[in-house]
Amino acid sequence: MFRFLAGRLMVAAAVAVTLSIVAFFLLNLAVDPAQTIAGEEANALEIEQIRERYGFDRPIAVRYVEWFSNIFKGDFGESYYWHKPVGELVVERLPVTATLALMSICVTVLIAIPLGCAAALKPNSWIDRLSLSVAVSAQAIPNFWLGLMMIILLAVTFPIFPVSGDKSLYHFILPSFVLGASSVPPVMRLMRTGLLDVMNADYIRTTRSKGFFGLRLLTAHAMRNALLPVVSVLAVQLGHKFGGSVITESVFAINGLGRLALESILGADIPTVQMLVFLFALTFLALNLLADLLNAQLDPRLRGQS
Amino acid sequence: MIRTKLATALMTIMLAAGAPGISHADKSDDTVVIAFSRELTKLDYNYGVKTEYIILGDLVDDSLFYVDPKTLDYVPSLASGYKIVDDLTVDIDLREDVTFHDGSPFSADDVVYTFDFIAGDGENSRHAKVSDWMKSIEKTGDHSVRINLNYPYANLFNDLYRVRVRQNGVMGEPGDYDPNAQITELNGLGPYKVVSFDPGVEVVLERHEDYFGGPKGRPPIKNMVIRSIPDLGTQQAELMSGGIHWMYNVSEDVGEAMARSGRADYQLGPSLRVGFLVLDAGGYTGEGNPLTKVEVRRAMNHAINRESIAKNLVGGPAQAIDTACNPVVFGCIQDVAKYEYDPEKAKELLTEAGYPEGFDLELWSYRDRDIAQAIASDLGKVGINVDLKHVKLDALNKARKDRKIRAYFGTWGSTASPDVSTIANIHWRDPESGDRNLSGDPEVTEWMLGGEQTLDREKRLELYTKGLQRIADQAYWVPLHTYSEGVLSSSEINFKTDPDGYPRLWTIEWK
Repeated sequence: MFRFLAGRLMVAAAVAVTLSIVAFFLLNLAVDPAQTIAGEEANALEIEQIRERYGFDRPIAVRYVEWFSNIFKGDFGESYYWHKPVGELVVERLPVTATLALMSICVTVLIAIPLGCAAALKPNSWIDRLSLSVAVSAQAIPNFWLGLMMIILLAVTFPIFPVSGDKSLYHFILPSFVLGASSVPPVMRLMRTGLLDVMNADYIRTTRSKGFFGLRLLTAHAMRNALLPVVSVLAVQLGHKFGGSVITESVFAINGLGRLALESILGADIPTVQMLVFLFALTFLALNLLADLLNAQLDPRLRGQS
Repeated sequence: MIRTKLATALMTIMLAAGAPGISHADKSDDTVVIAFSRELTKLDYNYGVKTEYIILGDLVDDSLFYVDPKTLDYVPSLASGYKIVDDLTVDIDLREDVTFHDGSPFSADDVVYTFDFIAGDGENSRHAKVSDWMKSIEKTGDHSVRINLNYPYANLFNDLYRVRVRQNGVMGEPGDYDPNAQITELNGLGPYKVVSFDPGVEVVLERHEDYFGGPKGRPPIKNMVIRSIPDLGTQQAELMSGGIHWMYNVSEDVGEAMARSGRADYQLGPSLRVGFLVLDAGGYTGEGNPLTKVEVRRAMNHAINRESIAKNLVGGPAQAIDTACNPVVFGCIQDVAKYEYDPEKAKELLTEAGYPEGFDLELWSYRDRDIAQAIASDLGKVGINVDLKHVKLDALNKARKDRKIRAYFGTWGSTASPDVSTIANIHWRDPESGDRNLSGDPEVTEWMLGGEQTLDREKRLELYTKGLQRIADQAYWVPLHTYSEGVLSSSEINFKTDPDGYPRLWTIEWK
């Protein structure tokens, strides 16, 4: 297990560093940070003064090495746009996005798992067809449209939920549903497929012959194997929620990392964008690693792989 | 079974703890809620460039002078009067009934300190120009100051309006000023004081009960919350559900639909912003540039149907313009060469210039994509095949600096200042100190910038007349249209837009 973990960690670290290099170079080549800080009305002399003051006249590679080494000192740079340390910005907004991401995954699980199970237990029935319809619809509907429709229906026409904001958990219900809906199709399909395969397995037939039926057969014997691919997909989807919450956070005016990323990109705030790219990559890699570990725990045969 | 009960209990607790019910701030607690699309990251207007900072700045700050919305003239605000001693000297008397939000009295020391730090920290603040024209400022009494200028500066009162006065010492000591001193906490002089500020989320304001009134008057509503809601659709939903009372930058179709619902009032008023094409007449982008020929530039002016764009794409009181400025501001004379929409004439001019089949042109834009596309379409009809590059503003700025842009669609809002010098100062600078002037015509620079270096109004008009006539005659630009500003307000409040399109939120009152 240790070798398995060590191998995965090395790969994750290499991917994270490569991503950070690509992001840093692309950001600094696409935008002139001196012009961004100086503002629209600055003249050429003022821009050059800022370029010298902030060290933007140094080679990009030198600036990258400086940025990377500062990370290990806990210095993630200062935001040009928000005028505060990037680390502070991220710490302020991380809990918001984490709440949204976790609640949206709960929504996905609450919808997709039961639907997938029902579809698998009654293949080619009306339940199966309904589940497929739900999956196709959820896949096709754009996030921002669903968000606005939910607002119109459940916040304006029938004022059950708040329109926007993040002051309480209640404010997160609509956005969680919107964000979670997009993950329902892959999870539901995997649950259905996985369970169908398992239910036809020999050991299930044996278990039935021992007198196990219905929900007990499903939860105690069949689900454990059927959940293997689902766990991996959920971990990946959770990573997507962190990095893909931009639209949902903008529509619902939620002050999380996704909205911070959008505002920082629009404001050409290179230090913040750089840090967020790195953070999202690390989150994604960590969740994938967690999924691998969970799978290895569920299926010991996987522990020999690295 | 136990797990199911636990899950149900957790959900109930969660919802109960987080579900306070849907309640909104309104007339009952004398609180009006405003929505901005763009986030506020700081409170200090002296260091902010967006329109939202102008709006906030006028709520929480005050200046020596103020722009009268009816006449667009500068009137005393913190000043009680002034005297122009000579072209280089201005004496200003200050009001004696003004207090900061923390209760401390306002005096000449605060004005001297403010202008000294603005001039000393010019490279950081948005008022870099002050360090250029101001020679010195001295206290001549507890409530009087004298400003000495380096040269006659026509835009003096504009800068005296734009600079927000700070309390003596609050920004640090000379040589060690801290530009962030008032960014998250502000002790201002304006009609509202800051109760709390969550950058990017909301600002909570409360009426300054000891506000002196002045040309702005005292605000009728006690509390104001400014929320950052990026999506306009969400803003509309909040307005319909009573979550907010005011929003702006609303297009005509959306505004009229909302007004028809009966839940909101819509106003589409004028704005000082103008749109234009800037053409590389000076050949800064290299050899083989058709735009260096005046016939080509004139052809482009004839090719674009500006009236149609103003009427159908901008709407409201927006109008086509012939000058490189907004017709309502001082100095924007209208006696210039005019180019009627005439595609046939445009084709003749292109043939005359040696382009009977037209040519390819890269046109850059960073906003109003629909207008940029309409421009591209009009140019295409006369043979100018446009490759539209719609990019973010920073990317356009970088490309312009690198001299890669032959033509771009730009706009300028004049930062709520009703004088042609504010657009001239930015767009007609010497190309060595700015990359927006692509005319290659030093006389235009001399005239357009010269207009702010004299206090003689007649002389100023004479210079701007020469400059604007040359710009139009040589078609260095294609002046397009003015803009309109659409505002949606709740049917619970009274709000009226002003002729300059700039929203004065402290005038909002309950119906």
